[in-house]
Amino acid sequence: MAIRLLRVLALLCACAAWSACDEKLSSIAGPTPSLEPTFASIQHDIFESTDSAGRAACTNCHTNVGRNPSAGLNLAHDLAYDQIVNMASSRKPGAVRIVPGDADNSYLVQKLEGKSGIVGNRMPNNGPPYLTDGQIMILRRWVAIGAPRN
Amino acid sequence: MRFLTGANVKRLLTLVLGAALLVPAAVRAQPPADDPAALKLAEPDFTLIALPTSLRLPKYRSAFRVTHRFLRPLGSGDFGDLVSDFFGLDNGAQTSLELRFGIVPNGQVGIHRTGGNKTIEFFGQYAAVRQSAGRPVDVSALVTIEGTNNFKDSYSPAIGAIVSRTVGDVAAFYVEPIWVNNTNALPTQLADDNNTFLVGIGARVRVSPTVYLVGEAAPRTGYKPGVTHGSFALEKRVGGHVFQLNFSNGFGTTMAQIARGGPVENDWYLGFNISRKFY
Repeated sequence: MAIRLLRVLALLCACAAWSACDEKLSSIAGPTPSLEPTFASIQHDIFESTDSAGRAACTNCHTNVGRNPSAGLNLAHDLAYDQIVNMASSRKPGAVRIVPGDADNSYLVQKLEGKSGIVGNRMPNNGPPYLTDGQIMILRRWVAIGAPRN
Repeated sequence: MRFLTGANVKRLLTLVLGAALLVPAAVRAQPPADDPAALKLAEPDFTLIALPTSLRLPKYRSAFRVTHRFLRPLGSGDFGDLVSDFFGLDNGAQTSLELRFGIVPNGQVGIHRTGGNKTIEFFGQYAAVRQSAGRPVDVSALVTIEGTNNFKDSYSPAIGAIVSRTVGDVAAFYVEPIWVNNTNALPTQLADDNNTFLVGIGARVRVSPTVYLVGEAAPRTGYKPGVTHGSFALEKRVGGHVFQLNFSNGFGTTMAQIARGGPVENDWYLGFNISRKFY
């Protein structure tokens, strides 16, 4: 009896290990299939790249190359993290661009979502297209886990 | 229906379980029949309401079940509105069909298809330990895997045990620890929890020769959106059929659906199960 029971349990455990499942992040990420909730990925796929849906790269305007950065936000590769995390907005007094752990109160998220109360236009400024719900979900997750410099 | 919260259902089940300890020893001592085809008066069906029981299916025999969970909350509007909607029967339902088959002695497999996200669940169950004079409980192993969109998306496997004790021909009690993987529809990278561990608890009490009261709940940890599954029912056994009228706080009939719980606190829904044994 004990041996039979052990065999059954071993079979069940093997089945469970074999069948551990998950959804694919790429199915959420839409036009940026390699997008992940890390700063490096967000910087590459959102800030610095125009995606396959035609949404413009943020660095088209938020750069100091040949122009003044829009809204004083410079998303140049080596400056971007310090420009957004715990950094006050230059347009809306009291607002902070990224509040680690609090996506709802992060002004950058509000601008990308086009929330009421933002100053100026929803971003990207020449949208639509804007970020998809899935892209924003991934950005929100990065903020929710503390906006690490990863 | 406001008193029928998930917490109150759990309290009721605890009371029923406690009452089992007060059943006279002479009644408790009756050994269950070992023939899987024999009618087990305390355990006439393969499910309580949504949770499975330990009932064995004879080799090469089958059983069928159809379920309905009507979508109208019973507490919506006043009683006149409820009667006007014929207690929710006018408002559509989440339905499911299930067929199970005995493949080996004490072992059964089955398929369950529900309209909720077009989910198909495959399951297997093996009765490893049977209640007897020296063994106080039945123990069955349970494995399921389900997928939405006709088993094309969002797979959720589950593994668990069904521990049960029948009390003569009067009642049966169940504790069912079950781990369900990938209950969260989001990828792991976007979720704090992707799995749910639930402990199904339930009871079926025979209140007349062919009439039963049934209750179940599924307290859980891990990913637990919505409200913890709870359900109670009145059922009638007629030959190989069991007709059950049930009240649930959600629509779940598969393991992942049960793990995700009901949609809204204090909403209850009318439903029914009809099952048929082909032996």
